[in-house]
Amino acid sequence: MPVVPLERLPLPSLRVYSFVSVVALSACTYYAAQIIKEPNWNYPGDFDKNDDNFENRNGTDSDGRTVSQFVSDIFTVMTREPVCVWTMINMAFCWFILLGRAVQKLVFGDLRVSEQQQLRDKFWNFVFYKFIFVFGIINVQYIDEVLLWCSWFSLLGFLHLLSQLSKDRFEYLSFSPRTPFWSHVKLMALLAAIFALSGFMFVVSIFVGFFGGLNTFFFMFYEVLLLAIRTLHVIIRYAFHLYDVRNETTPPTATDDNRTLDKRGPVSYYVELTFDLTALIIDLIHHLHMLLWSNIFLSMASLVICMQLRFLFHEIQRKYKKHRNYLWVRNHLEQNYPMATKAELQENSDNCAICWENMDAARKLPCGHLFHNTCLLSWLEQDTSCPTCRMTLNIQNPSVANMEPPELQTDPQENTRRPFNHFFHFDGSRYVSWLPSFSVEVSHVQAIRQNHMATNSQLDAMARQVQTLFPHIPLSTIIEDLRVTRSVELTVENVLDGRLIAPPMFRDLDIDWTPDRNTFTLNSEPEPSARNWDEYNTENVETEDTAALGSRFSKSSTEREKILHKRKEHMIKQARKRYIEKQKAAAVVAKSELQS
Amino acid sequence: MAGSALRRLMAEYKQLTLNPPEGIIAGPINEENFFEWEALITGPEGTCFEGGVFPAKLVFPPDYPLSPPKMQFTCEMFHPNIYSDGRVCISILHAPGDDPMGYESSAERWSPVQSVEKILLSVVSMLAEPNDESGANVDAAKMWRENRIEFNKIAEKIVRRTLGIPT
Ligand SMILES: [Zn+2]
Ligand SMILES: [Zn+2]
Repeated sequence: MPVVPLERLPLPSLRVYSFVSVVALSACTYYAAQIIKEPNWNYPGDFDKNDDNFENRNGTDSDGRTVSQFVSDIFTVMTREPVCVWTMINMAFCWFILLGRAVQKLVFGDLRVSEQQQLRDKFWNFVFYKFIFVFGIINVQYIDEVLLWCSWFSLLGFLHLLSQLSKDRFEYLSFSPRTPFWSHVKLMALLAAIFALSGFMFVVSIFVGFFGGLNTFFFMFYEVLLLAIRTLHVIIRYAFHLYDVRNETTPPTATDDNRTLDKRGPVSYYVELTFDLTALIIDLIHHLHMLLWSNIFLSMASLVICMQLRFLFHEIQRKYKKHRNYLWVRNHLEQNYPMATKAELQENSDNCAICWENMDAARKLPCGHLFHNTCLLSWLEQDTSCPTCRMTLNIQNPSVANMEPPELQTDPQENTRRPFNHFFHFDGSRYVSWLPSFSVEVSHVQAIRQNHMATNSQLDAMARQVQTLFPHIPLSTIIEDLRVTRSVELTVENVLDGRLIAPPMFRDLDIDWTPDRNTFTLNSEPEPSARNWDEYNTENVETEDTAALGSRFSKSSTEREKILHKRKEHMIKQARKRYIEKQKAAAVVAKSELQS
Repeated sequence: MAGSALRRLMAEYKQLTLNPPEGIIAGPINEENFFEWEALITGPEGTCFEGGVFPAKLVFPPDYPLSPPKMQFTCEMFHPNIYSDGRVCISILHAPGDDPMGYESSAERWSPVQSVEKILLSVVSMLAEPNDESGANVDAAKMWRENRIEFNKIAEKIVRRTLGIPT
């Protein structure tokens, strides 16, 4: 497959790039300063060429020209010279990247591998679509226009990526019970800032639209709106989550009132649905507008847009069907299964089998099993049987079933998987002669995981190659890394640089892995009885501290981790000891049998 | 979603720590991500996997327990119901909707009433009694049926590797 491995392109490091940018800008300034000195500028001054700092703005130089005048002169010269213009744009771009890096360092710290992957995908996706937009739809003719659109989209893309990153990070943080308070505050502040900036960009789009026409305004407006909606969605989900987590710490008596705001409750369901649908519909309108406005139905650009339209349409359809199913199941639930009475609740002292939490109110299925209303609803949406006894409930949505019988039977995940893999061969010369051609495979993480199942044999082969070099690292760890790097060389590099280490269990035990451990050859294998088991001395397994370890569930998460690790170590040591002792005993028996 | 999943996982972790089933340890390796656990499973006695301690990774979906976790052995395994990359193929880990093999009745599939403990106990019994109808590892299934002695030798090798004893 002609996939360009983007991460392997020889991109310079940020430091080198910033340095080069600054040097280039200085050179241009110097050049401009020299131009001003020339006679046709009528200012034969002999001031320093790098005297363009803004400190003594009000001071005058030897010719009576103010520094600000001097700066503006230099600026005029530079805007006339294409090379200088590009250098300045480059510098602005550099600042932008530095700003992004600063925000990343401040709010996110180090990015996780999946976040990087997601970011990279989003970035190239965005670049691709905006490229299509600028050169295929708007069909700009002048370099100024290109520049204006580019700067607009850089800012927009930057905010979109930040918003996406915040969403990923929020989802990750919600996976952990011990997220520090400050990470929440920082992330929330960033989200609020993005939201505020989208307001600012809305003002800009009105301003530009005032001069550029209604279409331009709308093209800018859709994107701003999308950004605002997505950001707000994350903010609201975040707020719900924080509320939810806070409930966990409050005493259980308070939770039943708050249950309405539970992540599975109807409020959050409708919020999710509204945001998802609105974003999709706006995106759909945006693409339709582009298609109708561009008037080029038989081009690469319209093809791409049609693909995207199809995808959006399917998504909306899927959401709609899911929602109808939800409504149907909910109605069915309310009409056919009554809430459990107080007596029934008291009789049944068990917790809800779905969430393992206490039940203050519950719905009763015909088989007599009780569950929380929201828990039951979210389960019945995907399956129509009692979770406990598997009794089939007579829930069938006739309207949906008649409309699309095959759609309902397929796994709901199946539908989401399909559209997530875009493969673009990108022939840049179709648009502008100097553009390169390349292919990009934009696949989302979910799709990547699916792909791996198919290419496992390939990965296996690669992993074995790596393992012959580093036999102490387990195959699974190597495969994991190969999934990210997709190259033997890079994984080897990772191992050498210490980025890829054997998981603690394997490390501590210092297992003597044989390189050919994957080929199950049984020749010249010494029989267990023939081995000298005495050379394996069983180390003393401390039993006293395990008594302290067992049957305790610490409140501190670091302590829990430590205890778990110790318990595991102890278990392996014990098993090892038992195994060796057993083999020794067997050897003794075999020997005595031989002698007799 | 993640909030309620987190609470349930915490409850399961607590239960597994306070009342661990014989020969089974499970819990999140790093609590920064509570949705990724490591489990150690001791090979059941009286079987070819006896004595071994097999590490496996469990990855939970954000909507757990509505969807089942994914389980993958991180040590080498040779078993009719375990893929060569370590993924475990047992009915309890399959969502009611999907049925890759087409032989399971929905009663054995995933439901939110199942738990990590039940999964791990099922895996233990799977180690003891492979189901050679499922074709997760065809070679292993064939060897299990036709050449039990060799299968046992390979299992013995794997057991020793998990214990850090040279084979
Ligand atoms: Zn419940
Ligand atoms: Zn029931």
